[in-house]
Amino acid sequence: MNEAGPQEVARVTPARAIARAIFARRGARLGLAWIALVALLAVFAPFLASSQPLLVVGEGGFASPVLNHLAPEDGALLGVFLAVLVAWRLARRPRVALVTAAGLVTVALIASHTLLEPPRLVAHEQPRQTVAAGDWDWVVWAPVPWSPDDYLRDYGHTGLEAPLEAAPTRVHWLGTEAGGSDLLAGMIHATRVALGIGLVATGIALVIGVVIGGVMGYFSGIVDILGMRVVEVVEAIPTLFLLLIFVAFFGRDLYLMMVIIGLTSWSVYARYVRAEFLKLRQQEYVQAAVVAGLPLRSILFRHMLPNGMAPVLVTASFGVASAILAEATLSFLGLGPVDTPTWGRMLDQAVQSSTFNWWMALFPGGAIFCTVFAYNLLGEALRDAMDSEAA
Amino acid sequence: MELTVADLRVTFPGAEEPAVAGVDLTLAGGETLCLVGESGSGKSVTALALMGLLPGRARMSAGILTLAHGGGTSDLADLDAEAHRRLRGRRMAMIFQEPMTSLNPVMTVGEQVREVLTIHQPGISAAEGRARVEAVFAQVRLPEPNQRYDEYPHRLSGGQRQRVMIAMALVAEPDLLIADEPTTALDVTVQAEILALLRDLQARNGMGLLFITHDFGVVAAIADRVAVMRRGAIVESGDRQTLLREPRHPYSRALLDALPERRPRPAGPKPGVEAALEVRDLAVHFPVRRGVLRRTVGHVRAVDGVDLTVRRGGITALVGESGSGKSTVARAILRLERPTTGSVWWEGEDLARLDGAELRRRRRHLQAVFQDPYSALNPRLSVATMLTEPMAVHGLGRDAADRLARARRLLELVDLPADSLDRYAHAFSGGQRQRLGIARALALEPRFLVCDEITSALDVSVQAGILDLLLRLRAEEGLSLLFITHDLGVVGYLADEVAVMEAGRIVEHGTTDQVLRSPREAYTQRLVAAVPRVE
Repeated sequence: MNEAGPQEVARVTPARAIARAIFARRGARLGLAWIALVALLAVFAPFLASSQPLLVVGEGGFASPVLNHLAPEDGALLGVFLAVLVAWRLARRPRVALVTAAGLVTVALIASHTLLEPPRLVAHEQPRQTVAAGDWDWVVWAPVPWSPDDYLRDYGHTGLEAPLEAAPTRVHWLGTEAGGSDLLAGMIHATRVALGIGLVATGIALVIGVVIGGVMGYFSGIVDILGMRVVEVVEAIPTLFLLLIFVAFFGRDLYLMMVIIGLTSWSVYARYVRAEFLKLRQQEYVQAAVVAGLPLRSILFRHMLPNGMAPVLVTASFGVASAILAEATLSFLGLGPVDTPTWGRMLDQAVQSSTFNWWMALFPGGAIFCTVFAYNLLGEALRDAMDSEAA
Repeated sequence: MELTVADLRVTFPGAEEPAVAGVDLTLAGGETLCLVGESGSGKSVTALALMGLLPGRARMSAGILTLAHGGGTSDLADLDAEAHRRLRGRRMAMIFQEPMTSLNPVMTVGEQVREVLTIHQPGISAAEGRARVEAVFAQVRLPEPNQRYDEYPHRLSGGQRQRVMIAMALVAEPDLLIADEPTTALDVTVQAEILALLRDLQARNGMGLLFITHDFGVVAAIADRVAVMRRGAIVESGDRQTLLREPRHPYSRALLDALPERRPRPAGPKPGVEAALEVRDLAVHFPVRRGVLRRTVGHVRAVDGVDLTVRRGGITALVGESGSGKSTVARAILRLERPTTGSVWWEGEDLARLDGAELRRRRRHLQAVFQDPYSALNPRLSVATMLTEPMAVHGLGRDAADRLARARRLLELVDLPADSLDRYAHAFSGGQRQRLGIARALALEPRFLVCDEITSALDVSVQAGILDLLLRLRAEEGLSLLFITHDLGVVGYLADEVAVMEAGRIVEHGTTDQVLRSPREAYTQRLVAAVPRVE
């Protein structure tokens, strides 16, 4: 008589319920919106800030200099973006979505590396000169008509300029950097590093941490004891100093940085997954899976992992934020990647000359702050959502 | 002292129905009123309302809510938080269900009790307080009160902790004591002692006792008067004899009829004589490890030489108190635990010797249903996945569609709606979850089922349904069952044979009638005598 019928909410899968709980929080929506904006800027950076016109129309027909200057990674990013969109549309059939997305990314990678061949030497002044010479009837410029590596050689003047202070012939909304390039253009292109370093470094750490932590937690005993000693050793390595050493020996490579941050930060995830698995092992539904004779693979990945990922995901979103900060710190110290624009490197220029260049501090600093804050908001909302789900 | 409650109502915002919807009751000094009901009937909320311990968001109203005590008469509905606090402990006290978490682990138990005393009688000196606390410890029959005073809670057993809780409630000599399921978490022999203690103390102090329980056996043992609660209201109240013998309200009648000891033992097929499962000299020892290198310094003999036979189509009950090793026997049979020595014979094979793929193939025949309906089901899997994955692994059913059809038949078998397939565990009530657990165990068409305390978390009416389901499955599918429980009422209703465990060994093994009616061993006699009975 106490057995009430199942309620209608029952058809909602647990993952969907958590997603819904996250979206119900204002902080999470704000954080997600900022990250989505940064992601869009990263994907469409060459079309948003470029010294090459988007479209030129003249007597000989029309052309798109921007497309001719696309680099392979620009094309790859666009492919990934398309894949994510398609996967989103097919979210109801996860397996189809995954396969389609993976296929699209592969095709995009191959196509962009074979088809896209930007000129090795780019003369950024050239389109401005041809337009000035009246070679084209009609020109569509990018919203920010400067490339991040366009040092304005045709203007003769280089150096730091405060926002909107330059000569009347050019407009720099956020001012210019030390080399003379446009700050806004640089910031738009730097979103790629900001997003990439956080996601890739955290991704590497997650994979290592989940595998090692899962093995420690499930087998426990001697495996666990040895594993925990490895974790303690890794935790004793100071990431920042290791990064400094590697930069000194192997040069300033962005990918190397991602790998090092990933390799030194997995211990947190391993600890969490281990603790969760130790707890889950005792759960009766895991015991039931063992009694049913299910293979180890299914017990670990279907019955245990999804129930133990909650604290890991929460920590991961904070981990993304700290990876971004680590890169910014390095770049600020002047040890960041050389040719890639990053927010940290721009921040560095705020104090480089004898004067305080406020725009170089405010805008890149604000961007770093907002991104780190957005990931923290997301992590916070994720934790609240998981807690209320568990209750 | 006199407690008078009329038209007490408590609602929680967002809840469809009020938690308490017009409760009337009276309680005089020296009297015990038992508030009985199933989970969610509002008994505990009623107690919290009287104590002024409702959470802030709850809305309470009452026609009358007065407590006449040694210091005058208080209108409990009208008190502010501070006045209520001064009344608590001094005039009215409460004991909670869980003795393991009700005490502060970093304070000695003596100091915890003395704190209550000094708050209500600030003038009392430390030495005098200690003497008073030790006197109360002696009253609640804690051995060596002088030494117990300086112990920390983790050094005490569950029964001893509950005695400390009672001492804490009694130290300021309250007029009214509210006990919310104080013995539910305890073993029956400990429960019998605590109930006797409460009766005794009440006779001495003349306080009123409001005793909340779901167990009619406990009611029969302690109540003067009984009130049956359902959906926030009292449906029937009366003195113990009348209510237990001739309940008038259909709900009280249904509750009493659902008690396994009140129901006639259904006639089923006689179990065969040959053994389905034979356990021989089974021992499970857990190593005790110490130090950095985790060296083994000793063994806990959880199971120490157990012989047990379950007959084909028979139900054998394994009973014993907590820590007796009955669950470990089950886990060793299921090979969730590796037996240290001994053998488990199933169809001419020793399961204790099998490993790897061999063992995984045999697992199909021996399935298990677990105790806790809330942790027994994976919250991230739909019912369909839960039921069909084991089938696919063991090659049952032709294809996915066939397996889904089998899953649907299983749900029908355990009386769950067929559209449960694409739902998740959280959509089901405790009883339904336990039915799902049974369906999952049956998915592999086992011939042997281990049930480990599967009804101990359920209300009696739900328990009755589950027990009948098991009997039906035994008759229809020819299952053999090992049923682990601490509830002798359930044993009498369900089992053909009973094995009694104590400290890792089986002390008595025989037919249900023999063991329950005329136990031979002293331990069994004590166990059977400790069970409170409705008759």
